[in-house]
Amino acid sequence: MIRARTLTDARQQSHSNAELNWWIFMRISGLILVFLILGHIYMTFIQVSESDATFDAVVAKLTNPAWKFYDWLILLLAMLHGVNGARYSIEDYVRSRPNRAWVKGIFYTVCAVIFLLGTVGLFSI
Amino acid sequence: MYRGREGQWAFLLHRLSGLAILAYLLIHVISISLFMFGERAYMAVHQTYDFPLFRVGLIFIVAGVVYHAFNGLRIIVMDFTGTGVAYQRQMWYGVLALSVLATLYAAYMVFPRILGGY
Repeated sequence: MIRARTLTDARQQSHSNAELNWWIFMRISGLILVFLILGHIYMTFIQVSESDATFDAVVAKLTNPAWKFYDWLILLLAMLHGVNGARYSIEDYVRSRPNRAWVKGIFYTVCAVIFLLGTVGLFSI
Repeated sequence: MYRGREGQWAFLLHRLSGLAILAYLLIHVISISLFMFGERAYMAVHQTYDFPLFRVGLIFIVAGVVYHAFNGLRIIVMDFTGTGVAYQRQMWYGVLALSVLATLYAAYMVFPRILGGY
């Protein structure tokens, strides 16, 4: 895990290319997600009421491939960003190596299944 | 406990809000994907979300998301500009102010609907 304040520090601290790439990915995906998710919350929560989110309304919206892509992009980026963020927390707080291995294993599996569920659900409409 | 100043609280809140958003995201994806199994399965779960307490919960989700988003922008500014770190404390108070404003706006928009039940 990288604890750096600048890109130059991060490059020096990273033990592997993968770790540095994740560090950069967190910044780039975060920047994109700010727009995607604040837009998503505004459009589906502030502008319309909870009780408007009926089955028919969701299906009608998602027949448009553009919204399908928008939602899937959120799903993909938020999953990678969130799972990697949680990995940082696990590496910080689960101190013993064997515990860390099974905690990560179960966590990654659950997230992968939920990501598949969301993808299949999104493209089944 | 390490008694850092604003930076420590910014970090702690960023972690907590991030983990909370991830937990929400996982539940959100599961319940939305229920419509694979048809309208009855979907509505069975979504009718319970219409309960006023859950709708108030959504205001907390907004609070977590806007804090995480704005503080994330602050982190990006610190990481990719040379002078950003010098202003991290001032920027954090800006982040807090923006988050409170956005949360109040969400509450202002949502409360009439909760009270009116529509």
